[in-house]
Amino acid sequence: MMKLLYSYFKLFLFFSIFLFIMGLKFMNKNYSMMIEYEVLTLNSSSMMMVILLDWMSLLFMSFVLFISSMVIYYSAEYMAEEKNLIRFILLVILFVLSMMLLIISPNMISILLGWDGLGLVSYCLVIYYQNMKSYNAGMLTALSNRIGDVAILMAIAWMMNFGSWNYIYYLEMMKGDSIMEMISYLIVLAAMTKSAQIPFSSWLPAAMAAPTPVSSLVHSSTLVTAGVYLLIRFNFSLTDNLLYLLLFVASMTMFMSGLAANFEYDLKKIIALSTLSQLGLMMSILALGSYKLTFFHLLVHALFKALLFMCAGNIIHNMMNCQDIRYMGNLMEKMPMTCTFFNICNLSLCGLPFLSGFFSKDLIVEFMSMNYLNIYIYIIMYISIGLTVSYSFRLSYYSLIGDFNFLSLNVVSELSMIMLKGMGGLILFVIFSGSLLEWVMFFEPIFICLPMVMKLMALIMIIMGMFIGYEVAKFKLGYSLKSLKFMTFSLFSSLMWNMPLISTLGVNYYPLFLGKVYTKIFDQGWHEYYGGKNLKLLAKFSQVSQSFSRSHLKIYFLLLILWVVFLLLNI
Amino acid sequence: MANLPVGLVSHTRRVQTLYKKAVRSLEDWYDRREVFRYHAVLMRQRFDQNKDICDMRVAKDLVEKGEKELFEKQHWHPRKFPESPGGVAYGREVVPPDWVVDYWHPLEKAQYPEYFARREERKKEFMKAWEKKYGKPQISTH
Repeated sequence: MMKLLYSYFKLFLFFSIFLFIMGLKFMNKNYSMMIEYEVLTLNSSSMMMVILLDWMSLLFMSFVLFISSMVIYYSAEYMAEEKNLIRFILLVILFVLSMMLLIISPNMISILLGWDGLGLVSYCLVIYYQNMKSYNAGMLTALSNRIGDVAILMAIAWMMNFGSWNYIYYLEMMKGDSIMEMISYLIVLAAMTKSAQIPFSSWLPAAMAAPTPVSSLVHSSTLVTAGVYLLIRFNFSLTDNLLYLLLFVASMTMFMSGLAANFEYDLKKIIALSTLSQLGLMMSILALGSYKLTFFHLLVHALFKALLFMCAGNIIHNMMNCQDIRYMGNLMEKMPMTCTFFNICNLSLCGLPFLSGFFSKDLIVEFMSMNYLNIYIYIIMYISIGLTVSYSFRLSYYSLIGDFNFLSLNVVSELSMIMLKGMGGLILFVIFSGSLLEWVMFFEPIFICLPMVMKLMALIMIIMGMFIGYEVAKFKLGYSLKSLKFMTFSLFSSLMWNMPLISTLGVNYYPLFLGKVYTKIFDQGWHEYYGGKNLKLLAKFSQVSQSFSRSHLKIYFLLLILWVVFLLLNI
Repeated sequence: MANLPVGLVSHTRRVQTLYKKAVRSLEDWYDRREVFRYHAVLMRQRFDQNKDICDMRVAKDLVEKGEKELFEKQHWHPRKFPESPGGVAYGREVVPPDWVVDYWHPLEKAQYPEYFARREERKKEFMKAWEKKYGKPQISTH
């Protein structure tokens, strides 16, 4: 079994390096390659199987493969005691395959294949553990993503008017034509479900019921960025109004999840909410019009968030599945290497200068500051950056330093070499990939010209976030607890603005109520009366009509002639 | 099942339950041990203040107020050990019991003829051993 794992690890690593080099070459020469197989042409609409290879798809594929190879290596130890290891490995491989299909296809139908594959596999991975929580979370995940699948299906149906589903040729047309604009609206809806933007964001923290390697690969770095990737591909077709709507939703998502992460106690959920916040950041910079920056942040974020989850997994594994950060503390002493990785990722997430997150985040906020936008976007962006720092420092405060809060008899230690090796494969990239990607992706520097205060704004917000994160988490004897004092606010924030309630009970209640009414009135009322009870009338009628034709050859012939006459009349 | 409201609960036990739940709730809120101990002492003092009240109407009123306060101040994410009910890893691994195999369809069983032949043998041996040890099962009359 382990042999299979390691062979997949090697395979993915090889392809990842190969694709990375190819991606750099394609970027350097400005190549893009399209491979078309014609499947069917029917009534001037052609069905093609198209593969698009350009620097974007190659780089993204190489990153996905790299992270998945590391995660597979890591899960050799994390999942070693599982009974269903084969199922796990096959699901991860299937996930990687459908992700590949999604990345390389510029065609709506093959995108739908990849997209649906992602949804299905992610459902199966969330319900990998078989308790009630996983089941509920899986259902929420699958049904939220189904909305996006349906949106893509509708976009496919609507694209019939173009005569082909290779959207990449029609992006400009979609923007110009008021009827075909519908497609870009549907695509944005689909991307919002996959990337868990605001009305649909409750599924992402719920999906943390999956095993941690899965959260690391699927729910932080690759699957959730599929929506962003789709929008990067479609970004030429999005109209201004749509972009403003997207900007609003994405900035609200970013703010909401940053706030919720400050009140959460589940280690994995905090990181999931942080992912959500970064997705909001990506979406909003996309809506501000820089798809390249979005892609840059997507890649960098994928690396450090995957590693952050792997560190969290190591901690959880050592604490015997305990995810509550209130039980942690002083892990720095017990698991120094893991905590070093954890800290580097956290600081990269916060945007500490010259770690990889700094290059993308700093560029994003300064690009945003350069635009002439309203004060709402400016403020919410900077507050969200502060919140990111705040929850990261709160998390560090709770888990890394202080007193150990778990059982007094414990075996928390760092003896899991395979997991550490898997994590160590990523750490160099977490540190250096930001500067590397910036050099290769932005060969003409982005010109940033800002007054001193605006330039320093990011730094000010970061320092404020550090202070607040520390102050929120700090405890002393005799402090009155602020989250208890302002209970309504903290409850509201910690429940992600009641989003999980809205997307479960809120959408269940009325359909179920209507179902009850229909059952009562139709199934057991009118239908029962006219259907079940009065079917014997129909039977009686058919008896009569049968008696006509019983051994009456003349009537048969008459009917035949009548039928022919009707047929001729119709022509 | 223990929380089903069956039978009478004496006032003393009601207060004790409230006290225990209140301290558990404090544990959710104040997550550093020494801070929690401090607040637990304060909570104990609040209970001790009213321990000598003999008027049942007042005492009952106080308990009801306490229960209401406990409900209003319950934590959104109570502390749970992962393997205990309500915890994250509760019931994660479901191991199907052995008798499930007996309910396979005959066609399914036919896929593994040797295994099932031996399984039937083993079942017979097991029944023999059981009957030797405990005697024949009595057939109940009702």
